[in-house]
Amino acid sequence: MNLTPVLRAEALKVLTLRSLCGTLLALFAVTTAFSALAGVSDTSDPDFDPLFMALSGVMPGQIAAVAYGAVVVSSEYQGNGIRLTLAAVPQRGRWFAAKLVVVAVPALGVGLVTALAALLAARAGLGTAADALTVGEQVRGVVGCGVYLMLMALFAAGLTALFRSGVATLSTLIPFILVVSFVIGDAAGTVADFLPDKAGQIVLYRTYDGTLGPWTGLTVTALWAVVALLGGFWRLRRRDA
Amino acid sequence: MTTIDVHNLTKEYGTRRAVDDLTFTVRPGHVTGFLGPNGAGKSTTMRLVLGLDRATSGTATVGGRAYTTLHEPLRHVGALLDADAAHGSRTARNHLRVLAASNRVPARRVDEVMEETGIASVARSRVKAFSLGMRQRLGIAAALLGDPEVVMLDEPSNGLDPEGIIWIRELLRRMAAEGRTVLVSSHLMNETASFADHLVVLGRGRLLADTPMRDFIDARVRPRVRVRTSDATALKAALARHGHDAVEHDDGYWTVQHARVDDIGRIVSGAGVPVLELASDEGTLEQAYLDLTAAETEFAAQPKEARR
Repeated sequence: MNLTPVLRAEALKVLTLRSLCGTLLALFAVTTAFSALAGVSDTSDPDFDPLFMALSGVMPGQIAAVAYGAVVVSSEYQGNGIRLTLAAVPQRGRWFAAKLVVVAVPALGVGLVTALAALLAARAGLGTAADALTVGEQVRGVVGCGVYLMLMALFAAGLTALFRSGVATLSTLIPFILVVSFVIGDAAGTVADFLPDKAGQIVLYRTYDGTLGPWTGLTVTALWAVVALLGGFWRLRRRDA
Repeated sequence: MTTIDVHNLTKEYGTRRAVDDLTFTVRPGHVTGFLGPNGAGKSTTMRLVLGLDRATSGTATVGGRAYTTLHEPLRHVGALLDADAAHGSRTARNHLRVLAASNRVPARRVDEVMEETGIASVARSRVKAFSLGMRQRLGIAAALLGDPEVVMLDEPSNGLDPEGIIWIRELLRRMAAEGRTVLVSSHLMNETASFADHLVVLGRGRLLADTPMRDFIDARVRPRVRVRTSDATALKAALARHGHDAVEHDDGYWTVQHARVDDIGRIVSGAGVPVLELASDEGTLEQAYLDLTAAETEFAAQPKEARR
């Protein structure tokens, strides 16, 4: 079972759709811009967390990562394109694996670059307020942020395969992310910590009081993504194309 | 072997049987016309052959293997299912490049098939700007990409202009002459008659006929001879002597039922009847098809009436 040709085809699909490249660009631009804005905000708050402040651009930026994961999959369901795709690669597991790689790898790559740029942009504004951050904390923040964005993109890809619709995924996930973040978002240490986005975001904080740590939080997000992907794969396997 | 073998194939959607215990074989070297009214199960059968839909029971194989076990299927089987399968935001060329990459088809084939299907000039245009005819050509280009020995096209002449229809006819015949297996679905009789030499006819998911086209027509449409003369009395007398019955038509010609043009020609010339026109009136595929489906409809309608 050779994955290389299928991977090449799937990568070419991403590169030849302007909207997909645009989404990744938006992920970088939105995150960096909002982090830079956060860098020049008020730092006198006693709960001020310099790492989260610096990476806070991810909160709006993650919507682009979610959109990327959703559109990579949903573009297949446009106009019965999935039939042509599965006629070319009838082994559905092989195709789905290649699809996940082209969701995960660009999302992780752009996510890491974005997190680094966001941190640098915010630190330029934060000045001495961020000096307390150790190198280790910053590396953890940047790597964790990249992994988080990749997992959210995969989560969205799994849901899209399950719903066979990008619109259904985005209209579920985006309000969910916004509601969780802004309504019950501050209730740390509750069940909200185990929600797919909140759990993974713990890695963005310098210190966080809750049951989950930065890496266990990402593991929880990864589990959500795995469940969504299994659901999506089950639907793909079972259904007539 | 490059035959398409369908064996006891059944597909149910809920309680509706789209394909009902279908068995037939499509052989190489012929263009096989796949006929039937809309909803007869032609497209479903094609999707089942391609492993896109799961059969409720029965098997469909290409060259003895299930399609889903083929490693690089586009090199063996080329199919056109929907004209709108290409993503609108991709260019025609990129659409084909993606397909070629997935099956390790050399990149030069992309340009070759675009040239062959007449879309080379719009290779770098986005598919959403294409007319239906151009999308159809792109779909056919995708089917030809891997130079497959089996070709399956669902309504390929849909949306094509008159030149396009002549082109597809010649393409189909040429592929069959090259020894490929060609299955083409259509609900247009005259169109199918122009390229097919074998027929598989479906009705309500069931096989109604699987025969060479000539046999299909000859078995259902009685041959007639058409004669025009300046001496109707002499004609009638000459024919009556040989046991033929002529029927006069409004625009001045006569038809002789159950007769062959060779026989009638000899009779009228032997009797010295002045002949202005003498032609064999061969049955058309359309007549034969309607004859077949009329019988089917009658058969199918009976249980409904009995229920009332």
